[in-house]
Amino acid sequence: MNDTNKEAGLLTAVREFPANVWSSIFRNPLPSNDLERAYTSFTNFFLHVHPVKVHRNTLRPLYTLGLGLMSFFLFLILVVTGVLLMFYYVPSTTQAYDRMLDLRGSVAFGIFLRNMHRWSAHGMVAIVFLHMCRVFFTGAYKKPREFNWVLGVGLLLVTLFLSFTGYLLPWDQLAFWAITVGTSIAGYAPLVGKQIQFLLLGDTTVGQEALLRFYVLHVAVLPLVLTLLIAIHFWRIRKDGGLSRPEEPARTQAVTMTVTAVAAPAKAATAEKKKVYGLQGFVRGPFTKVGNVPDNSVFSWPNLLIAELFVFVLVVAAILVLSLLFNAPLEEPVNIMHPPNPAKAPWYFLGLQEMVSYSAFWGGVGIPTVFVLLLLLVPYMDRKPGGVGVWFARQRLLANTIFLTLVLVNVMFIIIGTFFRGPNWQMVSPW
Amino acid sequence: MPVAPGSHKESGQAARPPLAETMNRRRMLGWFTGFGLCGSAVLSAFSNLVFIKPRATYGQPARFGIGRPEDFPPGTRISMDARRVCIVRDGNRLAAISTTCTHLGCIVGVADTGFACPCHGSRFDQDGNVTGGPAPKPLPWFKISLAPNGELEVDKGAEIAPGTYLDV
Repeated sequence: MNDTNKEAGLLTAVREFPANVWSSIFRNPLPSNDLERAYTSFTNFFLHVHPVKVHRNTLRPLYTLGLGLMSFFLFLILVVTGVLLMFYYVPSTTQAYDRMLDLRGSVAFGIFLRNMHRWSAHGMVAIVFLHMCRVFFTGAYKKPREFNWVLGVGLLLVTLFLSFTGYLLPWDQLAFWAITVGTSIAGYAPLVGKQIQFLLLGDTTVGQEALLRFYVLHVAVLPLVLTLLIAIHFWRIRKDGGLSRPEEPARTQAVTMTVTAVAAPAKAATAEKKKVYGLQGFVRGPFTKVGNVPDNSVFSWPNLLIAELFVFVLVVAAILVLSLLFNAPLEEPVNIMHPPNPAKAPWYFLGLQEMVSYSAFWGGVGIPTVFVLLLLLVPYMDRKPGGVGVWFARQRLLANTIFLTLVLVNVMFIIIGTFFRGPNWQMVSPW
Repeated sequence: MPVAPGSHKESGQAARPPLAETMNRRRMLGWFTGFGLCGSAVLSAFSNLVFIKPRATYGQPARFGIGRPEDFPPGTRISMDARRVCIVRDGNRLAAISTTCTHLGCIVGVADTGFACPCHGSRFDQDGNVTGGPAPKPLPWFKISLAPNGELEVDKGAEIAPGTYLDV
């Protein structure tokens, strides 16, 4: 001890410099026992979103399919590639398309980043939708997770709006005519439709003002909204007691309540227990009763982290491979005199486009509004507690059948719009 | 053990008269604060809305010249796509029919039977009446007039009854 305080202090400081810096950043060493494993979740900013322990059911790949995490990682890829693309993009009707060609021709990795951005966007729409299906078919929206389902519906809508504002930006034929059609649909909304259309376009027709507005929405407003919603969505997962899982039979026994951050639906009143509350015990909401139920939880470090890392690597690898193999489409530059024939939106809006080809109001405003309202009301209409935490539970046959039917109808419209519609939106055979 | 702040409120409450009588001033101030904050929020939201609604737009003018009557020989239907209007000349009569689809705003093409929209398959006859597809309204007719300099002028701000021609 004395040696370090002597004149060799500087030398020691230099020698220990890397270790000191390391330990000043990471407060505890790589964990070797349970206490340290618990500390990883407390002491690291990026890890403290995790609970100390998670239920085994949460880690079953075939339960969640990792879809929520995939959506989040796709969003991260979109943020990174999107910010990089912003260095070269100009939201101007005269320059935007040329900048797209620059990305292709002269910018290092430009085409690759654009591919990544485009395919991640498509992937995010698909995965967010599938995530919603997973949550429905496992009954995971039921009490106490009703509000997180509502937030999820909001996330789906913002995701769709983000992709919609995104494909105006290249200012190619698809962009121009999709925005023409999309904002005309908004114009069909009752009472305020025309005003909304005018606010979106900033003009009476699609032009420079519309491009600037959609750019601001795409790179600033909507990502902020999405980030906020994601943060609340994640926070609610913890506060609502972790991911949904089948209810476990409670064992009656004397129990000491210790507090870990993994939460299980608490029915604290069922048995008289000697209670010792930890700090978080005072926080309202369900918390774990260790010993009350069979302990099926495992430490987040390393179990949950490895699972997350696996999903992350999978998502990044998939996007990289897709971006290497397929180039993001870029149509002809805008020609305001000639819509392409047929003028088709990206696949995820083709169901909508198919519906508006029957009636603009009902297909574009009426039915989507009813559909979104139904989605928002699902957890408040279906109050039966059973069937949570398993796929296609027998008790939920009716609800699952209704939802599956709606999903299939939507998919069918998309297939018709994609493959069976030709010039002038006439029915054609794809073969 | 020290009494936690706030706990005396609960213990003393039973002896007091109902809250409404004792807390008038505090409650009123509370209401004022609430109204003030909510009012400010509504006002600022409204002013933001006013801000993003442009006062001046830079789109095309509603009135524009299209050329002299001789440029449109009898029997022709010339679609001026940049102006989104189709000039119809029938004998010595002229009319301007909109080529913006009343469904979702695509430009309709001039077809043998009238007009056809490439986006969602709306079809119109020669006078712009809907003959098929999802379009809810016929194509509007615009006022067309002969300016003193002998040039034809279309005013897209003025819709006229279909079938109203300008005699030249």
